[in-house]
Amino acid sequence: MSNLSIGISGLQAAQKALDIIGNNLANAATPGYHRQRINFTPAYSTVRQSAIIGGGVKSSSITRMVDNLLEKELLRQGSSLAQVSQEYDTLQTVETALGELSGSGGLNEAIDNLFNAFADLTNHTDEIVWQRQVVTSAETLATKFRTLGSFLGELDAQIQLEAENYVEQANAIINQIARLNDDIEKMELQGTKANNLRDERDQLITELSEIIGVSVFERDNGVVDVEAGGIAVVIATRATELETGIMDDGSLGLTVKGALNYTKYVSGGKLAGLMNLKNTVFADVAQDLDDLALALIRQVNSFQVQGMGSHGSFTGLDGWPLTDEVLANFEPPITDGKVYIRVTDTATDTISRHEIDLATIVPADPLVGLTVSDVANEINAITGLNCWYDALGLHIEQSAANYKFDFLPAVLPTPTASSLSGGTVPTITVSGIYTGSQNDTFSFEVSGAGIVGNDTLTLTVRNGAGQVIKTLNIGQGYAAGDKLSIGNGIDISVGVGDFGATDSFQVAAFASTDTSGLLAALGVNCFFSGSGALNIAVRSQITEDPTRVATSLGADGTDNYNALRMSQLKDEPISSLDNMSIGTFHRKLVTDVGQQLSIRQMREDNLMVIVQNLTNQRDDISGVDINEEAAQLLIFEQMFQSMAKYLSTVQSTMESLMTIM
Amino acid sequence: MGGTLSSLYNNVSFGLSLNAREILRLQEQVTTGSRINRASDAPSAAYRVLNLSSQQRSIANYLDNLSEVSDVLEYASIAIDDIKSALAEAKKLLGDVTGGTGGGVSLNVTVEGINDALDRIVAAANSKHSGKYIFAGSNTSTAPYAVTRVDGRITSVTYQGSDLRRDVEVAPGVDASAFYSGDELFRSDVRSEPVFSGDCGAAAGTGTSSVRGDVWLTVTHDGSNYRISIDGGLTDVVVPPGGNANQMVTDSRTGQVLYVDTTGINTTGTEWVRVPGTYDVFNALITLRDRLATEGLTTADMEELRANAFAAIDELNGVLIQKSVMVGAKIGFLEELKGNLETLQYSTEDEKARVEQADIAQLAIDLSRREILYQMSLSMAGKLLNVSLLDYL
Repeated sequence: MSNLSIGISGLQAAQKALDIIGNNLANAATPGYHRQRINFTPAYSTVRQSAIIGGGVKSSSITRMVDNLLEKELLRQGSSLAQVSQEYDTLQTVETALGELSGSGGLNEAIDNLFNAFADLTNHTDEIVWQRQVVTSAETLATKFRTLGSFLGELDAQIQLEAENYVEQANAIINQIARLNDDIEKMELQGTKANNLRDERDQLITELSEIIGVSVFERDNGVVDVEAGGIAVVIATRATELETGIMDDGSLGLTVKGALNYTKYVSGGKLAGLMNLKNTVFADVAQDLDDLALALIRQVNSFQVQGMGSHGSFTGLDGWPLTDEVLANFEPPITDGKVYIRVTDTATDTISRHEIDLATIVPADPLVGLTVSDVANEINAITGLNCWYDALGLHIEQSAANYKFDFLPAVLPTPTASSLSGGTVPTITVSGIYTGSQNDTFSFEVSGAGIVGNDTLTLTVRNGAGQVIKTLNIGQGYAAGDKLSIGNGIDISVGVGDFGATDSFQVAAFASTDTSGLLAALGVNCFFSGSGALNIAVRSQITEDPTRVATSLGADGTDNYNALRMSQLKDEPISSLDNMSIGTFHRKLVTDVGQQLSIRQMREDNLMVIVQNLTNQRDDISGVDINEEAAQLLIFEQMFQSMAKYLSTVQSTMESLMTIM
Repeated sequence: MGGTLSSLYNNVSFGLSLNAREILRLQEQVTTGSRINRASDAPSAAYRVLNLSSQQRSIANYLDNLSEVSDVLEYASIAIDDIKSALAEAKKLLGDVTGGTGGGVSLNVTVEGINDALDRIVAAANSKHSGKYIFAGSNTSTAPYAVTRVDGRITSVTYQGSDLRRDVEVAPGVDASAFYSGDELFRSDVRSEPVFSGDCGAAAGTGTSSVRGDVWLTVTHDGSNYRISIDGGLTDVVVPPGGNANQMVTDSRTGQVLYVDTTGINTTGTEWVRVPGTYDVFNALITLRDRLATEGLTTADMEELRANAFAAIDELNGVLIQKSVMVGAKIGFLEELKGNLETLQYSTEDEKARVEQADIAQLAIDLSRREILYQMSLSMAGKLLNVSLLDYL
């Protein structure tokens, strides 16, 4: 009865083929499905009287149409695409937050407006409208910095949360992969190909690769090991979960759950995109923004501390609270330098300048080192001033109502030292605003002896290095009281009187009355407070009283030198900003972000095309072609019909035989 | 390439999304009119645009400041002209009364006329523009000239402004000052040897005197020695026997000194000492007015007064013309600078527009093309996904 078994084998084979085709058609749109093909081989044949008669057909196997090399490449490129897309999408939010080029209101404009306001102030130093304009512009700028800084901080936290989310998703997938490995192994050990389970598992691996770059290693019986981010997450049927965390250097890292050996070198997938952005790109952007804000704070403050507004000299000044009063612990550390305080006694109309040399102050506690309290004690010893340090910071105030103080670099109206031996000592008046770049002491030596305005009498002017910078005639041809310029903005006049042959006097000139940076570090007479983009602000003393904006450097407080200096900061190269000006640095920051985005966009476009092509190639091999399946359907339908007809014929012959019998 | 269902779908989807993205980009450019809406659109062009925007704001600020400075200088120029005119009037009055062409105008009227000129000059010197004193140097909130009056008449004018100018940046690296120090404008500063025009025998000493303008040297005799004074007798110095070729006499009110060669003094009296090159407009007129108001002036006195006053006024006029030309030149320079800045402003705007703005005509064509492509993609997708062999089984 081999006829019947042949027919039945044919029917069964056709039926199985139709099942496979049906399965293919049903899964034509299933992501990750690889079409299957049934393989037929002739069934056991028998030999009858030297003739070999076949036993029908049997299905030897069902082949899953897959190109492993292509699948791996697709995994790799898909992972890269996911990483780049994540980076692109997230960076776009930063570009949007920066807001330049999208109309008005960006940081670029705010920076320009501040310096333009200072420029306007140079022509209106004592007018409240213009002083307020500077303060308003500065507050606007500070607000924009804080908004950006806060946004970057929130984005940083958001990235961390998103990374944790992705890791949770990855962990769920990893566990599923391990379970499927177990199911596949069990099934294949029994001799059955677990094609559908393999498809399901491979689809999960693809989903995992979009989260994190993976490597897949084949084992026996359909089991695969999976490595993600260099960590073995699936070994056969065992799953190892991952977690993210912040490393010691502030970077976002990945590790096995419960372990602490983080790695930040992860490639591929959205997680790598987030980690790369947080650890490098955003870290750089945030750092640059902080550097920019800090440079602005320091530069403006360095000019503000030494100047004076239309408010005039001070009766009291308060610094800001400090976390640590040890000067060596400041950022940057303060170890030496000098501060010069001018004290005016309005009762006697005398002005004195007092030097605070940090190098000569003996700390109260040598083990701790120089502290703000030590400096406060030194200042407190100056006649006319009270000074102390407490939890709210350094405080300087007048010790009596007739005293005022400031840090103006203005030359004192009389020489700082003199050795004059004439019978009638002439009155020497010093005036002007020193325009040199370094502090200096000018020495004046009299040549000749005699009465001012007579005979041969000259003054030889030397700088601190001993170089002769000018020789001034104060003998015949010079009218006593006339002004003489020694250069660098300083003038002197010599009154009626006479000089001895070796008479001399000195004039101290200051480019900076705080070579230590102490005043700005303590917040004394500062314009901005803060240490970066997150906390930059205009000091309340300035917002409450805009007349304190330090426009002047001269003793009478009417000049605009300081306002001019501050307005010119706009174009000043700053060493902490890679020798770029504030505006240039910011513009570079913005366009750097744009450049990063542009590069990522190009890479994304390229990768999309590559992935598209690879997907098409894969679909050629593994995809379901409706037309092809329909044609196969026809073939096996006819095969089924033929086998049915054959069986019917065999049955009919049997019946005929039975009838004969 | 095979025609699997998923590859068909993927290709259609890919093509559609490409077209849609491009259409979105073009639409944005049409809406904003700009081809660069964010730095990533074209980073290097964006950098240029940001720079140019900054430059625009800078130039606008410079133009504002320049305009303010120019306005103040224009005003200053008018004030200087006013002072020149007042001086000219004073000179005419003096000329009329001393040259006999006044038609009998009395001295009192002339004195009043000169006093009025002085008041006018002080008012001009204390001019304000937009609430700021324009001849006070950097101290624009305080009137530069303080006057002392006796019976309503100015007896002294003191400069209390600042000697510092107020520089304003009006172009990159170019500073201009609008607020001059009046002390620099309204007096001459080319000191010459004092000129003694009396008969007492005094002459200029060898030392360099510090007195300015006109000084009255009084020579008296105390019975033993001659004594000289320049402060109206408040203080004096004794002339030694035989005199002193370089005797210093001090004005106790000002501290200024006059070196006198007293060797030739042979009589008492009052000498008018002029110091050419040191006059200021105020004290010159005060001296002139007070001298004219002196009773009992002889014809010779009037002649001397006329000669000395004319010399002083001419000197001051020369100074004012010089300063007027200086201010005028500065105004001219600023006008030219303004023109350059406006040209720069225009060039910057133009360059920015060229870099930033989209070509609307080209955009319209591109958008139309993309929309057609998009529609064709949709149509092809519909056809491809609609028909298969299954339809014919």
